[in-house]
Amino acid sequence: MIRRRLLAGLLAAVATLAALPQAALAHGIVGRADLPIPQWLFGWAATVVLVVSFVGLAVLWPRPRLEQTAERRIASVPKLLDPLCGAIGVALFAIFVYGGFAGAQDAATNVGPTFVFVIFWVGLVMVSALFGDVFAAFNPWRAIARAAAAIAKVGRGPLPEPMPYPPALGRWPAAAGIVCFVWIEVVYPDRGDPSKLAVLALGYAAVQLVGMSLYGIAPWTRYGDAFSAYYGMFARISPLRWERGSLYARAPLSGLTSLDAVPGTVALLCAMIGTTSFDGFSAGPAWGEIAPRMTDSLRNIGFSQSTSLEIAFTIGLIVVVSLVAGLFQLGVRGMRSASHVDLTAEQLAARFAHSLAPIALAYVVAHYFSLLFVNGQAFGYLVSDPLGSGANVFGTAKVTVDYGWIPATTIWYVQVAALVIGHVAGLILAHDRALVTFADGRAATRSQYWMLAVMIAFTSLGLWLLSAANS
Amino acid sequence: MIELPIAHAGHWIASLLYLVPLVIVVAMLGFSSLRDRRAEAAEAAAAPSPDAAPDEHAAP
Repeated sequence: MIRRRLLAGLLAAVATLAALPQAALAHGIVGRADLPIPQWLFGWAATVVLVVSFVGLAVLWPRPRLEQTAERRIASVPKLLDPLCGAIGVALFAIFVYGGFAGAQDAATNVGPTFVFVIFWVGLVMVSALFGDVFAAFNPWRAIARAAAAIAKVGRGPLPEPMPYPPALGRWPAAAGIVCFVWIEVVYPDRGDPSKLAVLALGYAAVQLVGMSLYGIAPWTRYGDAFSAYYGMFARISPLRWERGSLYARAPLSGLTSLDAVPGTVALLCAMIGTTSFDGFSAGPAWGEIAPRMTDSLRNIGFSQSTSLEIAFTIGLIVVVSLVAGLFQLGVRGMRSASHVDLTAEQLAARFAHSLAPIALAYVVAHYFSLLFVNGQAFGYLVSDPLGSGANVFGTAKVTVDYGWIPATTIWYVQVAALVIGHVAGLILAHDRALVTFADGRAATRSQYWMLAVMIAFTSLGLWLLSAANS
Repeated sequence: MIELPIAHAGHWIASLLYLVPLVIVVAMLGFSSLRDRRAEAAEAAAAPSPDAAPDEHAAP
């Protein structure tokens, strides 16, 4: 009887809340994206999906599956493909740099900014998650280093051994590189200036070449190169793995179970989620109220308006990344206290870090889906006229961007689906890892209570950011 | 002009609604953890201590 009353009361509360906040959501996307229920109710529904998934895993997933899956070779790949892709990567990099200096200095007519921030930064993530580590093949810095090493070997004989990669450095350079890239994307005022982007790309290439010459091509590419580490992480979600001469098939997500969680891996994953979160947050009304206050305070200290804005955004970026890291650490510490396991919090964090990768993918898809498929259409005409000089190389220079191609409602549903699927995938990975970490299934399930809370927190945060950015 | 915090209450109240499921789940987890700890403590208290004196009525 009491339960019935509670249920009736809960339903009445939900119905009341569903009716009341329409006025509050006057600035939401409800008007544009004809949604049947308020946006926040999607957050509640997502939570229900996560809780049901958690219970389903506890009951129907008693043994580790992803940890023990084998991959099988499905095709052989011509060995010539690797250097060929490397040469294409170098050519694209050269065109980008040349276009940055020689082309029109305008983000709308020069292909550089669209190529970097839409095709490279977002499109390649989707490609990596579907088809594996494609960037490794096209990586221009790796291709240049390998070509240089091959030429030097022919000319001077065996090269001196590189220094061992410092274990303590781990993926920290990659994490710092991702934060710096997003800083350029979100904060740097000249991010749309093709020549500035070309200079930055050359600077980054120089750092990569120095890193590879010091520590070896493979170790530096694996841990130090921000983009290799970034796309490589998403590629582990893919059902495909490329290795020189062979293509292997495996269960989706299973590639993440072999992630070597060296120092900086958790930081890299938190940076991947946190930077995307801040990108969304900085477009919403909450940041619109916070930023001017911070800017005013900084101007009172003596900074100029533009510097104050940059400092405020930089602080915001760091704070959001730290919050994401803090949330994950909270989940790990909760897991530790609930399971009485003989591992430190750092060891547990490293063991469960891989469960953050699908969340990072979900955030990228949810936040940049419309950017890729709407703004990305500009690449259609930019590719024919990359320098903005009036050329029409492929006959597509007259292509226009159709901003109504994907309805706002569809975009919202894709965003919600991406977030829910990504977090369920995170739960699956964490549950699977818990089964091999803890004594029995019961202890494994109990240990994951707090990871469930973390997943719900990330889902709610993601949906709130999206609804705020769309308002 | 002084801006009352309630002036934009609609915005942040709508934002707070995203937090409700998290608060409910965390509260349930906290309650569940507390119950588990109490059950474990009760089990530990009920279990005979290895140092306890042998039962006089135990069969030889």
